[in-house]
Amino acid sequence: MITGDQLQLRVAAIRDISPTLRLVRFENAGDGPLPPSATGAHLQVVLQGAQKEIRNAYSLISKPGSRDAYEIIVRRVPESRGGSAYIHEQLKTGDLLTTSWPGNLFAPQRSARKHIMVAGGIGITPFLSYVADFAGKGIDYELHLCCREEEKDSFAPWLPEPDKVFVHWDADGHRLDIPALLLRQPANSHLYVCGPDFLTNDVLEAAETGGWPDNHVHCERFGNALSGGEAFRAVLQRSGKEIEVGEHESLLEAIEREGVEVPCLCRGGACGVCLTSVLDGEPEHRDHYLGKAERAGGKHIMPCVSRAKSGLLVLDL
Amino acid sequence: MTILFKPDETYRGDYTYRNSDAAILRFPFPFPEDSYMYSVNIEPHVRGGFTPVYNNPIDVDEHYIAECRDRAITLERDPGRYAALPHMMTAQWDSIELLMECLSSDYPELFSLHKDGDRWTWINRPLGIEQSFTFGKEDTLPCEPFEYITRQIQGDFAILDQRNGSLYLDAGMVTAQADWSLQFDVGMDFMEWHGPVPLAHQAGVFERALKYLLMLRQGQPMRRLNWTMTVNPRLDTSPETYPEWGPDRTTLTLDNIGRKLHLRVELQTLWRLPRSNAILFPLRGYLASLDELVRVPKWGRRLHRVLSTLPRELAEYKGLVRFLPTALEYLSTYDDGAPTTSGCAAEISSL
Amino acid sequence: MSLRKSIPDFRLLENSMNTTTCDAGHRSELNDRTAPPSMRSRPTYSSLSPDTAGAEHLLVIEADALQPGQASALSKSFTSVAEALRTVVSGSELPLPGANVQPDLAATLLAVKARLSGATMQQRVYAIGSEPFIWSIHTAAIDAGLDEKQIRLCHSGSLKRRVWCTHCHETTENVTTNIVACTGCGRRLLVRDHFSRRLGAFMGVQIDAEVPGDVPAIEEVFP
Repeated sequence: MITGDQLQLRVAAIRDISPTLRLVRFENAGDGPLPPSATGAHLQVVLQGAQKEIRNAYSLISKPGSRDAYEIIVRRVPESRGGSAYIHEQLKTGDLLTTSWPGNLFAPQRSARKHIMVAGGIGITPFLSYVADFAGKGIDYELHLCCREEEKDSFAPWLPEPDKVFVHWDADGHRLDIPALLLRQPANSHLYVCGPDFLTNDVLEAAETGGWPDNHVHCERFGNALSGGEAFRAVLQRSGKEIEVGEHESLLEAIEREGVEVPCLCRGGACGVCLTSVLDGEPEHRDHYLGKAERAGGKHIMPCVSRAKSGLLVLDL
Repeated sequence: MTILFKPDETYRGDYTYRNSDAAILRFPFPFPEDSYMYSVNIEPHVRGGFTPVYNNPIDVDEHYIAECRDRAITLERDPGRYAALPHMMTAQWDSIELLMECLSSDYPELFSLHKDGDRWTWINRPLGIEQSFTFGKEDTLPCEPFEYITRQIQGDFAILDQRNGSLYLDAGMVTAQADWSLQFDVGMDFMEWHGPVPLAHQAGVFERALKYLLMLRQGQPMRRLNWTMTVNPRLDTSPETYPEWGPDRTTLTLDNIGRKLHLRVELQTLWRLPRSNAILFPLRGYLASLDELVRVPKWGRRLHRVLSTLPRELAEYKGLVRFLPTALEYLSTYDDGAPTTSGCAAEISSL
Repeated sequence: MSLRKSIPDFRLLENSMNTTTCDAGHRSELNDRTAPPSMRSRPTYSSLSPDTAGAEHLLVIEADALQPGQASALSKSFTSVAEALRTVVSGSELPLPGANVQPDLAATLLAVKARLSGATMQQRVYAIGSEPFIWSIHTAAIDAGLDEKQIRLCHSGSLKRRVWCTHCHETTENVTTNIVACTGCGRRLLVRDHFSRRLGAFMGVQIDAEVPGDVPAIEEVFP
């Protein structure tokens, strides 16, 4: 398997590793080995929900280079728009799914002297592949996991070097002191953060204040929780369609529901691939891609996460 | 399909390199129109197209053995034509996996790859190589993995590391026709290594190309054709050896130009590598003399028309100024003014 | 983070491919004797000021390259970080109290390396002097693991260049002319504007390779 863009996978195993965490193992339903998985990579999974098709991106936790199977861990989220609930309630062994090839927006910097990872809860998943890559190779790293105390051991099976893993939770003596962590790190360290926005923002701010060059700081944000909001309407000018974007779906999902294709990759407002021109109306930008001037200009929108302030958007689609 | 190799031909000294009729017909002629125009020529690197060169992601042709030997000679003289910075080892293994799988699946009669977990055995029949090694263990190969595999494939190779929102030229095997110095450029970022390209008035072009490449996806390689002209079928036209080949540019006459002047087409492909997230950048060259190209009537006419309308700036940039008038005089004999069809295809099946 | 700065416009990109070539592997450097004025590999510089986001600062000065009064002006502009500032001066004494004075570039590089061993993400390095000098300091800082963004360079004094011979790979120092004989192989090299940060050097290519002896007038262009 050398080129392609879609995979047909079979659910080979499902295992609950905690009351809210479910591990899913996929194998190739087609011929031959899978494309090699990658450090920090994700898979875009298409789920056939009862009402609509759901597309979510999940980090691959498999050892980088794995070709026999891919594994993901999915947390059950109370406010789930469907993906998490579907995987926890409906997905079963033997099911066939369509996914993307692995994509990577969060690769480690190979030239780094030291890797420092900060994870918030399920945000640890991309780092499980980092650790699988680094362990045993003499690569210097530290993983800091911030989570609820009762979950502090949930990921232990994927962490072969426990002396490099530090778990923090919300109790005196156990909280992560981010500025202190960033203070004495050797030159050519790289810092990675994945977790809820408040943690990511704290880390980014501490890094800036602490004199870290911004190109040594990398984050992957959870996109899905961001995409809901008030319903609005969108006109797809070139397709001649007018669509309703519901409270619990993203603009991109609504567009796809109408059968209009938009190239996309991360579905989390980071990669810039789904960039769409706005002909009329005022976007509510929620992405991490557009610059300040581009946001203020209002001529473009990332439909995977952003919505409308104006009640109606006219798009060049 | 059996490939009849020409193991004894040379790319230096007596320059016995020639194309068979079949090789001429499959040449990736790069001009789709009569007047010179830059074409929109970046496209997905999928199988098939106007030339059989596109039938496989990595093309092997009749010059394979001779070209690998010429690379070995150049490396023997100047080992610095191969370089890889230390952090590129993951990308080196990515490359070996991709390239060995391409070759063994598309040319099973020439190459085999057997895997037993991480224990791999590679068989290269044309070059008489059988090598067992452990994937991921450098000391199980006779040289670094990227050097090992690129010594066995035609064309130059670079690996671009992605960081700081740019691409860095952090590894390369550059022995063929590369009018740039790997030793000077290694470690440079995208903007730095494109510094000499004299197109300052088109600022922004490289920024856009870079953004496009940063989003390149695993499994979806891209390709484009580039071209220049070379005196003699010489692969090693590096700055390092410029004193050796530079004087050749003054030797062309109307009598010898058909034999000596070659169109050199470079098929550039770009592949996202999985583990390393780097980009593998093969630059595969194809050489054909004017005498060979004019045997395809459409190409003879078209080459004359394209070179006639080439902007001066571009002729200077590609180093053609000294011999362009002689080339045009030679080619005019093969241009009867008849109309040509658009597209690059030869449109004949035998010569 | 690095991917989110600006907008890729794929239609524009196609136009761009329509009007130029991305000639990574295909640059006829040898033929373009007049480099474009804004060659992208050619560094640009501005005056030195401290980066207050840093916590440890190292200022490296080539004494002979400074104008009268420039040392005290530098000292003044670094007042805000004075407590965390170390200064190394190369060549001769300057009116900078507490500076570590080294006799030449080689000794200066040793002092810089010693100072930067164990450097942290909060380290900053500043260098002022001729281009060969400041890029030597740059290389030492990069080797110590610093990022480009932790280093500030200012060109002062002579325009002399370090020239790297594409043929024998030797470097020729203190070049002030458009054409120079290589100290390694003796070939007469045209000094091009193409610059390597790693080598701190400009590229030199034999000027008369195509027609031996065809050498234009030699002029002092980098005084």
